[in-house]
Amino acid sequence: MKRKKSGLWLFAVVLSLVLAVGSAWAQETIKVGVVGPRTGSAAATGKAFEEGIKLGTDYVNAKGGVLGKKLEIVFEDTAGAPDKAASGFERLVTRDKVVMVLGESVSSSALAEIEVADRFKVPFIVVEAWADPITAKGYKYVFRAGPCNSGVVSETIAKWVVAEKFKRAFIVAETSDWGLGIAELSKSALTKAGVQFEAMTTERESKDHYTELNKIKAFDPDVVLAYIYGSGLHYFVAQAGEVKLTPKAIILDGAGPPSLWPDFWKNVGDYGNLECFVSSMHEKVELTKLATEYREAYQKAFGTPPTDYKSRSIFDSILIAADAINRAGSTDADKLVDALEKTSLLVTRGTVKFGTEKGGTEYHQWMPPMLVIQWQNKEQVVLYPPEAATGKLMR
Amino acid sequence: MTDRRFFVILFVAVGLLSLLPLGLGVYHLHVMIVSLFYVMMASSWNLLAGYTGQVSFAHAAFAGIGAYTSGILAAKFGLNPWIGVFIGTILAALIGLGMGILCLRMGGIYLSLTTLGFSEILRIVITNEYEITRGTMGLQVPGLVADYSKPAYFYIMLGGAMLTLIVLYKLIYSDIGLNFRAVQNDERAAASLGVDVVRMRVLAFTVSSALAGMAGGLYGHYLLLITPEIPSLDQQFLVLSMTVIGGMGSFLGPIIGAISLEIFSEYIRAYGEYHVLVFGLVALVVARFAPNGLMGLAEHRLRGRRKASRTVSAAAG
Repeated sequence: MKRKKSGLWLFAVVLSLVLAVGSAWAQETIKVGVVGPRTGSAAATGKAFEEGIKLGTDYVNAKGGVLGKKLEIVFEDTAGAPDKAASGFERLVTRDKVVMVLGESVSSSALAEIEVADRFKVPFIVVEAWADPITAKGYKYVFRAGPCNSGVVSETIAKWVVAEKFKRAFIVAETSDWGLGIAELSKSALTKAGVQFEAMTTERESKDHYTELNKIKAFDPDVVLAYIYGSGLHYFVAQAGEVKLTPKAIILDGAGPPSLWPDFWKNVGDYGNLECFVSSMHEKVELTKLATEYREAYQKAFGTPPTDYKSRSIFDSILIAADAINRAGSTDADKLVDALEKTSLLVTRGTVKFGTEKGGTEYHQWMPPMLVIQWQNKEQVVLYPPEAATGKLMR
Repeated sequence: MTDRRFFVILFVAVGLLSLLPLGLGVYHLHVMIVSLFYVMMASSWNLLAGYTGQVSFAHAAFAGIGAYTSGILAAKFGLNPWIGVFIGTILAALIGLGMGILCLRMGGIYLSLTTLGFSEILRIVITNEYEITRGTMGLQVPGLVADYSKPAYFYIMLGGAMLTLIVLYKLIYSDIGLNFRAVQNDERAAASLGVDVVRMRVLAFTVSSALAGMAGGLYGHYLLLITPEIPSLDQQFLVLSMTVIGGMGSFLGPIIGAISLEIFSEYIRAYGEYHVLVFGLVALVVARFAPNGLMGLAEHRLRGRRKASRTVSAAAG
């Protein structure tokens, strides 16, 4: 009995020591939250985020961390669903007490999250959710260090369609805030450019696109602007090949990452050849020295070169957050917003500067340069912009 | 249980719970608010499955009807959310009544299949009619209180749960409740004694649907965002698990099941995808070792202790 009692005492002492050490260690870090889909049809983005988080925290902590403490990232899975995104964001703020939140790649989720950020007054840097209203709503605590729909359409997609002299285009958009938003902007841009087009919507999770593809084939387009995110795009590309819509028509994946995910070639087979996609990353188009450093660090850590550009986007946002915390000299939300508004930081995609004029998408927005790339015999060839092109469109 | 005893216990419990906002932080208060939503859902589903033996898979769908009715009326037509919740409750009751009249003569597996089909149809309609419902993008709705406040929502949900439990208690411990149990135990025997079996079933279905509609409406305005997740089958199975694990057919079981499983699911959320697996394992273990749920287990223990103490006192005497 005595032995049992002393065993219990020992256990209690060890447990309290572990807890004490744990809480002491916890005080030595500053927590920043990351939201993104780690499960669901866009789970590959979550994996890309995890890779970028590892490299980003290593980079920041190797340079002294934030406010003399180590930076700690807490990742909350949103499963690509707005309700889970909003509750996950709230959990980061109320349970984990993070000082700032970064991430997201699904616009509908981000639109739910910005409401929570606004309610709890927590700075939120959106990384890869493109819907215009995210910044156009003019929320003080919401920033975006990544592409927005209007920027991608006006600066890249519409100009590329004109440059390639496409005469007929078909727009297929998933029924999401990103898909419907970018489709509307594309319609306006194509009308302005005098390109004939037709458009339709599709269900994001749909695995069967044959009905839509037959209608598209009947229109006989030169290019199909496919605004479908997740593994749904793989079904679309493979079935477009089966109904022989491609290679006569060129498909542009208007998001990018699904064409770069590891299972892309397994799912689409040879039908993936000549497919085009939007991206902000190509090893021959590295705008800064940090981009090269990032590629080398990625290769060293994971044994392969980086593919999904969203790993680099979250890496950049971690650097932006750390820089703002250090310049603010505090974790106070309003001081962080002030510091973010004054950001002028060189990251892998260029120099970050957020717009400060209210009343449009440009408010708290920094738009990185985007590329149009084509798969040519499983090699990535940059087509647009012309100054970055590494080859010509193959049909 | 006498009326007096029930109300004393209820008001003492509500009084104690009312003190929680003084001691709990924002996060823990959120967990309690969600728990209260599940108390409403599991208790009202228990009226169907536990007291009249009708296994419906449309309970979450009725919560969705309440949430979307109230949400659309508030977001698109600017109607006061409280009036919206009331209309949502009435609409859920009417659809429940209509569905009850149509399919409750069938009973058994046919009722389960019909409600399963209804649930899925509703999900597809909500997802596809995105111009009205915003589908999977989620419908942002105004709150029930002007300034967002967790304690205010806690008291609102506590009030909703209290109302649900009073309605259920009054129904279960009345002549109608006696008829419910008679229908559950042996519907032929009940019918031979003059109990209108179908009418009893329709009544239970309508009341249960209305309570789910009210719970959904309140919950939607708490989340400020309504998505097809509310009327999903995932949500339905969660409510089912809570009732079964807590103890189906007992008044207290679903309450204990809802609160304990919601708290438990918050703890195991860190395991990501595995948290569903852990949840399933717990349900399996409970089903194997405590088929009457946690309440059944507690009653068994209590009975065992009483028996033991009687034996001891008899031996001493």
